[in-house]
Amino acid sequence: MKLDLTLGLIDRPGQLIKALEPLAKNGGNIISIIHEREKVSSGYVPVSLVVDFPTIANFEKTKRELEDVSISVIKSEEIIEKANVSFILIGKLDVRKIVETETDKARIVNFESSAPTSKEACIRLNIEAPVEEINRIVAKLKEVAEEENAVLISSV
Amino acid sequence: MKAILVGFGFIGRSLVKTIRLKKNTLNLIDKEFKLVGVSDLDGYLYNEKGLSLEKLASINEIPEYSPNFLMEKSSLELIEKCDADIMIETTPTNIEDGKPGLTHMEKALSKGMHVVTSNKGPLVVEFKKLVNLSKEMGVEFKYEATVAGALPIFSLVNECLQGDEILRISGILNGTANYILSKMYFEGTSFELTLKEAQERGITESDPTYDIEGIDAACKVVILANAIMKRDVRFKDVKRVGIKRITPEAVNLAKQSGYVIKLIGTIDKNLEVAPKLIPETHPLCVHGTLNVLHLETDLAKVITIIGYGAGRETVSAMVNDIISVIKKRN
Repeated sequence: MKLDLTLGLIDRPGQLIKALEPLAKNGGNIISIIHEREKVSSGYVPVSLVVDFPTIANFEKTKRELEDVSISVIKSEEIIEKANVSFILIGKLDVRKIVETETDKARIVNFESSAPTSKEACIRLNIEAPVEEINRIVAKLKEVAEEENAVLISSV
Repeated sequence: MKAILVGFGFIGRSLVKTIRLKKNTLNLIDKEFKLVGVSDLDGYLYNEKGLSLEKLASINEIPEYSPNFLMEKSSLELIEKCDADIMIETTPTNIEDGKPGLTHMEKALSKGMHVVTSNKGPLVVEFKKLVNLSKEMGVEFKYEATVAGALPIFSLVNECLQGDEILRISGILNGTANYILSKMYFEGTSFELTLKEAQERGITESDPTYDIEGIDAACKVVILANAIMKRDVRFKDVKRVGIKRITPEAVNLAKQSGYVIKLIGTIDKNLEVAPKLIPETHPLCVHGTLNVLHLETDLAKVITIIGYGAGRETVSAMVNDIISVIKKRN
């Protein structure tokens, strides 16, 4: 799991290395680090990091160990990588069924239907969802398309 | 080496013309290389001293070659009777039971002959059996022309990617379907009209079912899965959607968002042939009758090869297979 963290470090030498030790010890892979010296406030320097931890438990342990050495975790937010995937559906379609296929983790960001000049209706959907959810959503949409005897064209 | 050619249709005749054209190249590798027998449904020609390539290249039907032509004798008899080293099999594809190509190949391999083929049918039906038989008999079994015509996919993987694990193969494996979809994309025409035009231009057969229903592409998916991914799959294992329900509206909606609809065969943990949205800048986006194969591997990451998948160009793969056999076995 990838986390967006902000740590508050006392503005004196050697603090950053003290903060990084618990991260490394608990399997945290630092993807980026910004030492924001220009934002010193009340003697504390904010340090923004993006860290990939193997599990939430690794992060929780890191957080406790940081607090033990008087480093506070000001912000911790999970970064969910999202992908935008396009689909085209051809056939007689119950649009409600397609919309209901969405999970709480996905949302339709674009929906366009074409005025049919042939007997089959045609819509284009753009769905935004967490990367790890995409395959499941594609499979679910395929299932719905098959039930409706529609053709689902997904992107590679 | 002595070779026989079983099947004297378009590919068989094109191959004879090419062997004649490349005679010097072949003779530099093997000065004894000759074509000693040719057969088709009508019967066969056989001369252990070699047939005249000039004469063969000028005819359309085997009986035109010589009045001494042995009519009403089967190709199987030629395979049994001859003392050739290589059988080149170019009979038409039959994906139901693979015959007659399958029978020809089994007979030739059992007899200790190397086999070079462009016929998909036997490989779709009995790939593993044929490969095992060739190994058991210690002979070469080459089938480069069965998938994507002139594209050297098996040579590429077997010779140049020996340390790579192939994670996924995707590609445009049928030139006719690609021609139709390309025309619809560039000219905005309907599927029905485009198909009719393709038939009039001789790009597709009068019965286009194999091309537009994705059957031909699915056969190639089976061969790629078995030969490259070392799977043991059959035609029924391929999930298949054709292109006949693609409408001009769908093509246009795709185009508006930077995509092109292409019939794509995919081999990963699933086997599928289906229309897909391909970004205009993606290496899989090739037009007209071109084929493309896109490999994803652990070391090389991605490799794409593009070329003609059917027609006269297919003989390039067959000639390379013949030369490979001669070089390895002479």
